[in-house]
Amino acid sequence: MISADPSKVTAICFDRIHHPNQHKLEVARANGAYKLLPKVLKEFSSEKIIEEVKTAGIRGRGGAGFPTGLKWSFVPRNTGKPIYLMCNADEGEPGTFKDRDIMRFDPHLLIEGMIMAGFALGVRDAYIYIRGEFLHEANVLNAAIEEAYAANLLGEHILGTDFSMNLTVHRGAGAYICGEETALIESVEGKAGRPRFKPPFPAVEGFYRCPTVVNNVETLSTIPAILEFGGAWHASIGVANNTGMKIFSVSGQVNKPGNYEVPLGTSLKTLIEEHCGGLQHGSLPKAVIPGGSSSPWLTAEHYDIPLTFDDLAKAGSMLGSGAIIVMDETADVLAVTRRLAHFYAHESCGQCTPCREGTGWLERVLVRIENGQGLPGDIAVLEDAAQYMAGRTICALADGAAAPVMSLIKHFPEAVRAGIVEKAA
Amino acid sequence: MTTLFINDVEVTVAPGTSILEACREQEVSVPYFCYHPELSVAANCRMCLVEIEGWNKPAASCCTPVAEGMKVTTQSESLDKDHKMTMEYLLINHPLDCPVCDQGGECKLQDYAVDYGASKGRYSEGKRAVNNYELGPFVTTAMTRCIHCTRCVRFADEIAGTGDIGVLNRGDHMSIAGIVDECLSSELSGNLPDVCPVGALLDGPSHDVSRPWELTRHKSTCTQCPNGCDIEIESRGDEVIRIQPVENSPEPWLCDRGRYVYDAFRSENRILTPCVRQDDGMQDSDWDDAVQRAVEQLSGKRIGMVISPFWSVEGYTAIRLLRDTAFPDAQVAFDLHRRDMRPFAFEEGFVQTTQQIEDADEVVVLGCDLRQRLPLMMQRLRKRLGNDKPVTRIGSMNYRSNADLSSEALIRPRDWSAVIARAMQQVMDLGKSAAGMKEWIAAVEDRHEAGKLLGDALMAGSCSLIVGEEIRCHPDAAALIHGLDLLMRGCGHAEADADGRNLVPEGMNAQVLSAVFGDVRSSAGDIFDAAAKGELDAILLVGSDPIGDGLFPVQARKALDNVPLVQVGAITGQISGGAQVMLPASAYSEIEGTFINMEGRVRVATNPIATIGEQRPLWKVMMRLVQALGHAVPVVNIEELRQQSIGFLPDLGQAWQSDAIDSFMMATPRHAKAAYLPAAVAADDKSLDVVSRYSLYREGMWARASALLSHAGVLHALDDVLVHPDTLQTLGLQQGMLTVVSEQGEQQFNIGTRDDVSPGVLFIAKHSVAGDLSNSVRISLRGGAA
Repeated sequence: MISADPSKVTAICFDRIHHPNQHKLEVARANGAYKLLPKVLKEFSSEKIIEEVKTAGIRGRGGAGFPTGLKWSFVPRNTGKPIYLMCNADEGEPGTFKDRDIMRFDPHLLIEGMIMAGFALGVRDAYIYIRGEFLHEANVLNAAIEEAYAANLLGEHILGTDFSMNLTVHRGAGAYICGEETALIESVEGKAGRPRFKPPFPAVEGFYRCPTVVNNVETLSTIPAILEFGGAWHASIGVANNTGMKIFSVSGQVNKPGNYEVPLGTSLKTLIEEHCGGLQHGSLPKAVIPGGSSSPWLTAEHYDIPLTFDDLAKAGSMLGSGAIIVMDETADVLAVTRRLAHFYAHESCGQCTPCREGTGWLERVLVRIENGQGLPGDIAVLEDAAQYMAGRTICALADGAAAPVMSLIKHFPEAVRAGIVEKAA
Repeated sequence: MTTLFINDVEVTVAPGTSILEACREQEVSVPYFCYHPELSVAANCRMCLVEIEGWNKPAASCCTPVAEGMKVTTQSESLDKDHKMTMEYLLINHPLDCPVCDQGGECKLQDYAVDYGASKGRYSEGKRAVNNYELGPFVTTAMTRCIHCTRCVRFADEIAGTGDIGVLNRGDHMSIAGIVDECLSSELSGNLPDVCPVGALLDGPSHDVSRPWELTRHKSTCTQCPNGCDIEIESRGDEVIRIQPVENSPEPWLCDRGRYVYDAFRSENRILTPCVRQDDGMQDSDWDDAVQRAVEQLSGKRIGMVISPFWSVEGYTAIRLLRDTAFPDAQVAFDLHRRDMRPFAFEEGFVQTTQQIEDADEVVVLGCDLRQRLPLMMQRLRKRLGNDKPVTRIGSMNYRSNADLSSEALIRPRDWSAVIARAMQQVMDLGKSAAGMKEWIAAVEDRHEAGKLLGDALMAGSCSLIVGEEIRCHPDAAALIHGLDLLMRGCGHAEADADGRNLVPEGMNAQVLSAVFGDVRSSAGDIFDAAAKGELDAILLVGSDPIGDGLFPVQARKALDNVPLVQVGAITGQISGGAQVMLPASAYSEIEGTFINMEGRVRVATNPIATIGEQRPLWKVMMRLVQALGHAVPVVNIEELRQQSIGFLPDLGQAWQSDAIDSFMMATPRHAKAAYLPAAVAADDKSLDVVSRYSLYREGMWARASALLSHAGVLHALDDVLVHPDTLQTLGLQQGMLTVVSEQGEQQFNIGTRDDVSPGVLFIAKHSVAGDLSNSVRISLRGGAA
């Protein structure tokens, strides 16, 4: 049970995931799912819901951290075009595995959140874009959706109200880039996943050029709690401007890797030492990737940093999706960077010049250095190739590809130099 | 309007303009590859980065709209580094084969490499190699040079409407490819090499032939269709290497027909020396002898004149002068398709510009295969559709448009009066009418539901009607056009400033031909019939091929069996077998002259390419004939000739005098008194209506003489004789060899089927086995031999 006292909240999205068979409608309902829905549909207005979400201060849990209520309020109403809601369940960011647990253990939480969001936005058709590899989760979701339709929680005149909404699961085909919201929209439209330039933003022109809201699984799964206990309740969890609980997917060289839902503002050190059982070797991490592989690295210097969007931005990194990859003193940072460079070179959609050509270039240079065949000037090449693709492309994939390389050079230049053969004088 | 600052200069542009477009307007140079003014924005090359005050990173100027007070910088040290890096990224996988690349000398990548490239790259790994692919007969590919700007993909999607080029794979494995070999089915494919900023897509026919800097450019006008595009003929010496569109002309594109017809300039079919008949063949001769032979055939005779619509204004004036001095009784035909010679309420020619049609609220295309007839007009309609503006089409064939039309209906030619009557009923129900409409409706028994589409479209604020050959060549054309005229007047689309009545003409210079020959005009069919009956003594043919083109090949053959033929022209077609004399005249690429396109726009051809034979400008040939026929020569130089032209075309004269040629539009003739009621349509029987198909690769002597176009014609050919499958089913017949019964007797043809043609119609390809059926209106179909 989620406590009405914000200081006693231990989990929001993961509150019910430990119940056996929670994915079944009957069990979910017994545990409180859809309890609030009739009230929301009958008594709440769209404005009130959006206002509550704004008050809650929840920022998008997918990576960018954009305030959800604000995003919803950008959607133009009465354009005559349908408004679409898309749940971004692509969860492709290396290191992230939180949405997967929500979907496989408590799909009705997400469905309920989507019905409420759809109701607030006036949506007739909503979609869950789920990453292709999540076959089991897609099956669970589809079974849950089927049950929800049968119980009149989805479809025509939901629970006897005037609100009707369809929900469809759309499986991706394995492209990382389809987690970018406009590439996701392209993909659902049946095209290759290539991000669109913005403006126009999806809230104005998205799916089939109609207003579209794309929200992360965790974000949408928080909506029922916000509406149940109120925006102010949510706003008093965590710290100012970084409110609520956040699931961190911790992986790497810790003793107990896994998903941990903690209030925003919890320090990195607390999370690693108290929740994850500490580092495998030594007492200080060599490097930590705090927000998924696309975020710039932190070092031991920032071990005490409070995990908030703002603090991480101040430290030159980002909270991202909350995927924390921990490297202890035994980690080979060059090998990690080379592997990440390979990932981005493989996943670049190819449309923008710097990313298409730059990601492959970075990988090839890093491979060379890893093999001890680096050339003098390679550090400058890596710096230029990374720096001049970041921020200069349609989407942020290039920034993500540049981040590990720039972090490596910034924090561990000696690891790079070791692979460079200086020409004999 | 939005005011912003570009490099500290205050600039005011329309809201929503992109920064790049604002810079282009101000002639501030910003480098770019993927941007193209006629295509959608892709924003993928990232070359056009600019700095905006207050933004923490550079922005792509092509996809960033201007904002009030925005401060844009296009040149700075850091932008210079950005451009250099973008060039370095692009060049790591680009081959350094400029010396053997056709694009060299007109390549954006090469130009920017000079501006921003380093003299030595820092990339030391292997370079990518990419498979080439087939893109039809006109485009050669070297895909390793591709920089993935996707201009070609957007061109295929948005302009050609074929969508047959796409992007495969991701990252640096990304490649541009066609879906299947030889897939490029667009009649605009020749634009792809122009669209490609690098040497990946190259002009096939001129591949490995020349360098851009070796070419001399000749400004001219394409006369291959009524659209009359501006062209630049590029030649090396007297050899034409390629034909290019002209920047800033009304049409940014050229169709393949206009672009690749140039190999016909040197084909065997050219008339390059005077020829006379010797025994059974034509023999080269000299001007004196040939003119003498022509005089023998023509002097004092009753002649009929058949001329092509592709000469210049000066040429027509000269033809008319010949007629008036030497053959004052001669009738002149310049249209090989028109059967009904009664005046039309709105005569051939467009009253609107193609831009006005693109912008109209509604466009209705009636009985016209626009994609083949006027490929660039069709391209504009495609653009309209892309902007959610409707296009309605009614006609006997709805295939090959490469566009999703908003509404369309299939009808038989005999249904036109019922369609128009239904449209009249529709607009009257909605409260519009015109004097005479009631009488017109009363003369038609049936109503065809397709008319509702027309009626509904006419209710729009502005409506452009494009009336095509199915109506123009209809035996009852004048009555149908009167009916359409009533509709347009009733709905307010006939006022001087909102006239939407456009009739697709046979060729160029429609307005000029009406003005110069309107009073002596005749149907080509009638002239041939008269010759066959012995009412004429000879036929003077000036640049036309009535056996190869048009509806009257059978009549033309009969006529030539009976009377001698004197032929003047630049190129000859199937008719030449019957000529007694052939006199060579200069082709459109070889003259200075004035042309009027279908919109009434004046195009002036200057600096012609060097002639390769003994041909002379048409007006000189005409004057030579006048002299040889014993008359005083009315004009001796082109200035005098133009004075004569002004006699027929006073408006053009005024425009010439006031130096307003560029903005001058020649009016399209209207006949207010051309009111005719439709003839009764025979009760529905089992006969089929004949419609002859137009192919841009095969129509006209130039196209048929071009090996390039002929090859494409074969690739894009449909069955020679086609019907809708339901037509066969109704008649209880099977696809295959069937017997066609017409006034030609019984003929057997292999008949194919297509779903997108109208039931009840027999489609024949001209110049095919069934070409002789062109002038048949109705035929009947029955099973194969016995």
